Amino acid sequence: MTGHEKLLEVEGLQITANVDGESRTLVSGINLTVDPGETIAIVGESGSGKSMTARALMGLLPDGVTVRGNVHYEGTQLLPGTRGRRLHKDFAMIFQDPFTMLNPLLPSGRHISETLRDEKGRRLRKPAARAVEIERLAEVGIQDPTVATRYPFELSGGMRQRVGIAATLASNPTLLIADEVTTALDVTTQAEILQLLKRVQRSRNVGMILITHDLSVAFSMADRVYVLYAGQLLEQSPSSRMLIEPLHPYTRGLLDSDPPLDHRAATLYSMPGSVPQASTVLHSCPFAARCAWAIEDCRTAATPLREIGGESGRSSACIRIEEIRGELGLVSEPSTADASGSEVGMSSSGAFLAVNNLRKEFSRGGRRVIALDSVSIEVAAGESVGIVGESGSGKTTLGRSIVGLETPTAGSIHINGVDATNYDALGHGQVAKLRTAVQMAFQDPYSTLSPARAVGPVLREALRLDNPQASNADVAELLKLVGLPASYARRKPAALSGGERQRVALARALARKPNLIVCDEIVSALDVSVQAQILNLLKRLRAELGIGYLFITHDLAVVRQITDRVYVLHRGRLVEHGPTGQVLDAPREEYTRSLVASVPQNTVTLL
Amino acid sequence: MDVRVVGIFIARRLLGLAVLLLIISFLVFSLIYLAPGNLVDVLLGLGEKTPEVVAAIRQQYHLDQPFFVQYLIWLGNALHFDFGRSIMLNQPVTAAIAARMAITLFISVYGFVVAVVAGLVLGTAAALKRNTAVDRGAVGIAIVGVSAPSFATGLILLWVFAIQLGWFPVIGTGEADFGDRFWHLTLPALALGITGTALMTKMTRAALIESLEQDYVNFARSRGVGPLRTLFVYGLRNSLIPIVTAAGLVIATTLTGSVLIEQVFSLQGIGSLLISSINNKDIPVVQGTTMLIAVLVVVVNLLVDLCYFVIDPRTRMKGALA
Amino acid sequence: MTAVLTAPETFVKTKRGRRSVLVGMSLVIVTLVIFCALFQQFLTPYSAGTQDLNNTLAGPSLSHLLGTDDLGRDVFSRIIVGARSALIGPAIIAFGAMLIGTLLGLTAGYRGGWYQTLVMRWVDLMFAVPQLLIAIVVVGVLQGSYWEAVLVLIVLTAPADTRLLRGATVAQRNLPYVEALRVVGVPSRRILAGHVWPTLMPLTVAQTFLNFATSIVTLASLSFLGLGVAPGAADWGRMLAEGRDLVVVNPWAAIGPGLAIALTAASMNIVGDWLLERLSSRGRARA
Repeated sequence: MTGHEKLLEVEGLQITANVDGESRTLVSGINLTVDPGETIAIVGESGSGKSMTARALMGLLPDGVTVRGNVHYEGTQLLPGTRGRRLHKDFAMIFQDPFTMLNPLLPSGRHISETLRDEKGRRLRKPAARAVEIERLAEVGIQDPTVATRYPFELSGGMRQRVGIAATLASNPTLLIADEVTTALDVTTQAEILQLLKRVQRSRNVGMILITHDLSVAFSMADRVYVLYAGQLLEQSPSSRMLIEPLHPYTRGLLDSDPPLDHRAATLYSMPGSVPQASTVLHSCPFAARCAWAIEDCRTAATPLREIGGESGRSSACIRIEEIRGELGLVSEPSTADASGSEVGMSSSGAFLAVNNLRKEFSRGGRRVIALDSVSIEVAAGESVGIVGESGSGKTTLGRSIVGLETPTAGSIHINGVDATNYDALGHGQVAKLRTAVQMAFQDPYSTLSPARAVGPVLREALRLDNPQASNADVAELLKLVGLPASYARRKPAALSGGERQRVALARALARKPNLIVCDEIVSALDVSVQAQILNLLKRLRAELGIGYLFITHDLAVVRQITDRVYVLHRGRLVEHGPTGQVLDAPREEYTRSLVASVPQNTVTLL
Repeated sequence: MDVRVVGIFIARRLLGLAVLLLIISFLVFSLIYLAPGNLVDVLLGLGEKTPEVVAAIRQQYHLDQPFFVQYLIWLGNALHFDFGRSIMLNQPVTAAIAARMAITLFISVYGFVVAVVAGLVLGTAAALKRNTAVDRGAVGIAIVGVSAPSFATGLILLWVFAIQLGWFPVIGTGEADFGDRFWHLTLPALALGITGTALMTKMTRAALIESLEQDYVNFARSRGVGPLRTLFVYGLRNSLIPIVTAAGLVIATTLTGSVLIEQVFSLQGIGSLLISSINNKDIPVVQGTTMLIAVLVVVVNLLVDLCYFVIDPRTRMKGALA
Repeated sequence: MTAVLTAPETFVKTKRGRRSVLVGMSLVIVTLVIFCALFQQFLTPYSAGTQDLNNTLAGPSLSHLLGTDDLGRDVFSRIIVGARSALIGPAIIAFGAMLIGTLLGLTAGYRGGWYQTLVMRWVDLMFAVPQLLIAIVVVGVLQGSYWEAVLVLIVLTAPADTRLLRGATVAQRNLPYVEALRVVGVPSRRILAGHVWPTLMPLTVAQTFLNFATSIVTLASLSFLGLGVAPGAADWGRMLAEGRDLVVVNPWAAIGPGLAIALTAASMNIVGDWLLERLSSRGRARA
């Protein structure tokens, strides 16, 4: 595996942001190494500083952000670099969002050839450039040579990501840094791209640093994993070891918070509290405030990474790890599997929500797009049903049609017996009744609340639609229902975290006392630990209030945790449906099988 | 590139243009009737008021016809570039305009060129060196340019450079040759250009800053794309749409601003013709010059829109009109 | 006419995030001008119309800070008196245009459909022709007074605000929070008034200031051309036109009012930008 020379050696990396005259430390004390041909992963949630670290290694920090420390590449110190220039020409970075990564005014192929020079140092002429472009595209799995002449907007997300990878490979780098490269993609495309990266790495024998928040992606792709939290490294281990026996309470928490795909947990583990600002925990263990094993020393002294004796190549920042590693133990046996509700079929009282042969067409740019094609689903009162699919499956359109944000082209929707197909055709009173039957929660916590209004008035406004006398006490009760203190009524959304905002959004929906809430990807934009909190909240609400959910998501593990039955959509068509456990464990249809297979598992067998 | 898309667009815009000009012409025409004072007296000017002359005027201007017919007659003539005769100048309106077009166009274009070049340079410099003295200076100029009325800056320029320093002539338009004219008209063009510079600087700076913050610029830098190429191909080229839009605005500003500048510098251009015809109630000239300036501005807007097709390939594709 | 002079953060914030010197100066100037407009009787050493034919075209002196014009009137006093006509008209124009623009823009952006198309066609029409030109022609031919000029300018400025607010409303309408409120069942009127409008408020305030600044210049341009004011009135634009002929003898007769216009407009612009910065950062989301 390794030669004698390390490819990359980073020591004492510290990144500081200077904003408005104040300086804040974002990341400190980072030590890491990469061998030629090795893949390491840096895992962290939001606020960990992982993206800044990646940018620092590339030399692409934004204005006002500085870096200190040692970065040795093949023995040479690279810092400080020149601002606006990459740290070394052998480094390449693959970006996260394929839709913004490419210059919309340049043909795709240009991105590959624009930096190439011939032996005399001049720009390549057209034929030579074209030849290189086609070669690189083939390397990333694009066989069609005309792609090089097409503009980015003519290509799909997956294709654009491949073009981006081809462009980075053009200069034959020795180190690839992949920053959350699959976050914006579907699960099946994600699997393909990860496979591609692995293939490229093997054939070129380059080192790779994978930045991700997804532990399963890290374990399936990397040889060694670094765990980053609030700007400091907490653990470093080979994947195979970390997966089975984490050496830090935070890693343990992360592993536990990840919703399992293969069974349903009665309650999801969620770490209490939230991520602190890096600059506030520089001289203590950053995780101390949330750690069940924390002692006084954890809070008062800095905790750098140190090698754990008796374990080759494993380090931990936890000062108590030797004594508590037994307690941290092996990753837990499946917590009592939740058998309740997993076999619920249709209740005999008839469906609360009945969608029949729903069809929705859009005309986009002169073309007709069929978003939904004869989809039929049923949800009984109090049932939690999942709608699973990738982008373009129509799942969001389905949810929106049910609450009247879209009007179907054909088919019908019945809610509690009332024909709710076309909300515009209904009378005022009928619509009002429907609103107390079905409500909706949306995906993006940062735009789901009115930015200019405080939480209290918004909730009161919703409550007053049914009860004109609703008071602050009622608002406080509603907040308590979703696990927020009454004092939050005074806050504006800007003062709330992502998870808190989703809770407020749920409270707003609950104000109308609905029987069913359509949840459209409501946890997809949240960190894993916050996701677990919200899912637990949903379970509790269902147990306390008896409400049902129509849970729309692309995440199979999440759908397992929260739903009794599931429908699988693909390109607007219903592909399969049944009890959730059954569909996920033993999928009948080809598409469902490929969907399940694409989910990165916590296994170290490389894809 | 879908030729049909471009073709349909041009056809639609030309139609819109025609409708627009029609509406403007109608409004311009109707103005006479809203002006205070007896219409016949106005059209008579300084001549003697005898019954025969009044009848002749009523005949000449079709004053006995219904309003709408008068409009159509007038429109018909206008389409042949016949706007009647100027009352105060006693020559065909088109002749009066033609004699003065050159000066107005000269200072407008001159001012436009100055504004665009200066604005691009300042805006780019400001965007590249944010929060430095260069940036502050450029933005300062932008604010001043937008706030200070062109006739005020024109006056100051006149006083400082022509009267006090004597570098430029105070009056006259320079008949001798192009160079002479150039020298005579520099101050007015500069005055016009300052407001335009402000607009261009502001738009260029904002557009360039936004372009340079995009992911594709970071990606380019990470691949080793050099600073020059980054600036031109990734920064400026992607900012072209707002920049071209601003350029269109600048031309409209310089065309209409010439009305004011010509007063300050005593130039015999279209602008001063318009003002004097308003003051003298020379209605035919008012109609003619207004229509002319309106047509020029509208055509410029159309050209700006056409530029978008050239700049951004996304607009050329099928379905881009949706 | 492009919208707000997007805040050049270089100006409105110093390194420590406090108000910059420039903003401070602008606020002072604005206050000063308003003060002049309100309390001119107490500030002017001479009345605006007092002529002193023995002392025409005098240069600056202790008794006449900016000299006198061709009728011996004190330039300095006339500038102070001119503050009133320089501020009142533009204030009404800015406010009126914003009122119309907000009503039309918000409703058109939210409702959509034929109503929106109609409104935007009107806006496009108004935009297609240079506004100064229309103002000159209309006010000139109709021989309008100051107030008629103000009315014309309200109608000419409203389209810009309408376009700005419609665009902003459309952007808000597609955001999840508006859709969520619709699903919750909040009536459209209340969504517009209680949620969308407060979010757009910083934009409208800043745009109003910008309108104010440009109206000062436009109104002054009209009066410079002799439209909208009586000759001899103590109006900055008019004074500049009359002072132009005197520039060789007493340049301050023209430069004085010229500076007054420029400084007032510039200060309004800067204050508007600063307000936009201040008001929007309160609602700014945490990253």
